[in-house]
Amino acid sequence: MKSFRPFYFLIEALKSLKRNGVMTLASVAVLMSCLIVIGGFSLLVYNIDVNLEQFGEMNKIAVFCQFDASEDEISGLKKTIEQLDNVKEVVRHTKEERLKTFQEEHVDAYGDITSEENPLSDSLEITYKSTDTQKISNLTYELEKLKGEGQIRKISNRYTLSKKIDNFKNTVMMIFIWFLAILLVVSVFIIVNTIKLALVSRKREIGIMRYIGATKWFITLPFIIEGMLIGLVAGTLAFFIIKIVYNTVVVRSFNVATFISIAKFSSIEPVMVIGFLLIGVVTGVVGSFISLVKYLNT
Amino acid sequence: MIDFKNVVMEYPNGTVALKGISLHIEDGEFVFIVGHSGAGKTTLTKLLLCEEKPTSGHLIVGNYDLSRIPNYKIPHYRRELGVVFQDFRLLPNKTVYENVAFAMQIVGTPARKIRRRVPAILNTVNLSDKHNSFPEEISGGEQQRVALARALANNPKVIVADEPTGNIDPEMSLEIMNLLLKINKLGKTVIVVTHEKELVDYYQQRVIMIKDGVIAEDRVGGMYE
Ligand SMILES: Nc1ncnc2c1ncn2[C@@H]1O[C@H](COP(=O)(O)OP(=O)(O)O)[C@@H](O)[C@H]1O
Ligand SMILES: [Mg+2]
Repeated sequence: MKSFRPFYFLIEALKSLKRNGVMTLASVAVLMSCLIVIGGFSLLVYNIDVNLEQFGEMNKIAVFCQFDASEDEISGLKKTIEQLDNVKEVVRHTKEERLKTFQEEHVDAYGDITSEENPLSDSLEITYKSTDTQKISNLTYELEKLKGEGQIRKISNRYTLSKKIDNFKNTVMMIFIWFLAILLVVSVFIIVNTIKLALVSRKREIGIMRYIGATKWFITLPFIIEGMLIGLVAGTLAFFIIKIVYNTVVVRSFNVATFISIAKFSSIEPVMVIGFLLIGVVTGVVGSFISLVKYLNT
Repeated sequence: MIDFKNVVMEYPNGTVALKGISLHIEDGEFVFIVGHSGAGKTTLTKLLLCEEKPTSGHLIVGNYDLSRIPNYKIPHYRRELGVVFQDFRLLPNKTVYENVAFAMQIVGTPARKIRRRVPAILNTVNLSDKHNSFPEEISGGEQQRVALARALANNPKVIVADEPTGNIDPEMSLEIMNLLLKINKLGKTVIVVTHEKELVDYYQQRVIMIKDGVIAEDRVGGMYE
């Protein structure tokens, strides 16, 4: 090719998208819905992870000290627990540490709280040796006794809960993967039809181009760009819709339920932008290629 | 130089359209290809356009062996060929000027060169006053001249015209033929498929007659039946 004119291809692609407006809209809408579902599931899984992390690893029990516990009382409690059966390790988290972690990881619910206003208490994180149910319930019983004596404010035994959440997460992932596969197939199918329609409406022109000696890339590039543009637009729209819905509806309605922490959108934002645009463009280009097979092989 | 050696063309449905054609055309020749409907004339032009490949035999055009040309080379080969069809095949949504410029654009000619060359070619085919007309606004003869201009746009060595006067009034036909002859005088090889006896007789050029897929006659001068 003597001179490469990217604008020629872009303009041809845009003209074609406009000419088949309805199909273009359908393609963008379907691919966008697909990406929104992908985004929704990703956010759900991500939030489950964030919450699981907060619950700690599975062979752990967290014990929360009284708000007014003194330094001596806390270290005494730590020693007592360390001597219990099946305890491997006890780690202390001060309330300052915990506030800091909260502020870093979660939505600004704790945003402007100063250390004087800290609503948290110190906690002791107990790692146990055996996950044997009997041994865990023995340990829990001992801890409950300490709680009865007033040394402990609250016990959070997360073993069963985190197991349940983990199972839930796996189910969500399975559904997600199936949904994803089906929606992507539908998206590709619709894009293939859009590009095919574009090809049909330019059949005559393509025929003439071939006689005159246009290379197959010259002929097909506008259609590939067309698929790419569909993907880009769908990706961008899906991203903003997800972002707005998440930041308004989801964050706002779950903020009240403080036992669940909602991840900040910004922490998943870069991955989502890149992911959406990539999935969008790849789907679009794959769709184009499928509809162009006939032209690319000759 | 165009060289057919024992070219056989069998369509996938089993029709053998060409049954062993051997034919030599020198650079700068003017050749009429005549024959009844169904004789195989269009098949012959399809082979020249590389739209079909010979089932057997050899077909050489210039530096290209069309019987074994790889697909990726076909577009480059076609740039050395100008084609004119009976039905003009112009783009209806482009003006006369744009139709000719389009041929140059798609092979990557710089815009500056296009702006210089298109008016010159339109002048060659006597269409200087129709630059901005759309195909449907001009006569069949004029449309065919636009097609001819487009065929010339990339300065090919060979012009192939399949029944170029088939859809045109007789008076206009003469003008198209005169132009083809003029183009031949400019040094291009011109191959014209036709079944208009009067035209062939009138011009007294080399005439190749095809009958049922074989060459029945190859001689200089008119008169074919
Ligand atoms: N695409 C095709 N498939 C099968 N048979 C064809 C095809 N094109 C032409 N033919 C047959 O090949 C023979 C020659 O056709 P053609 O080359 O078009 O003749 P002409 O141009 O001289 O009228 C005819 O019998 C025709 O029916
Ligand atoms: Mg014919």
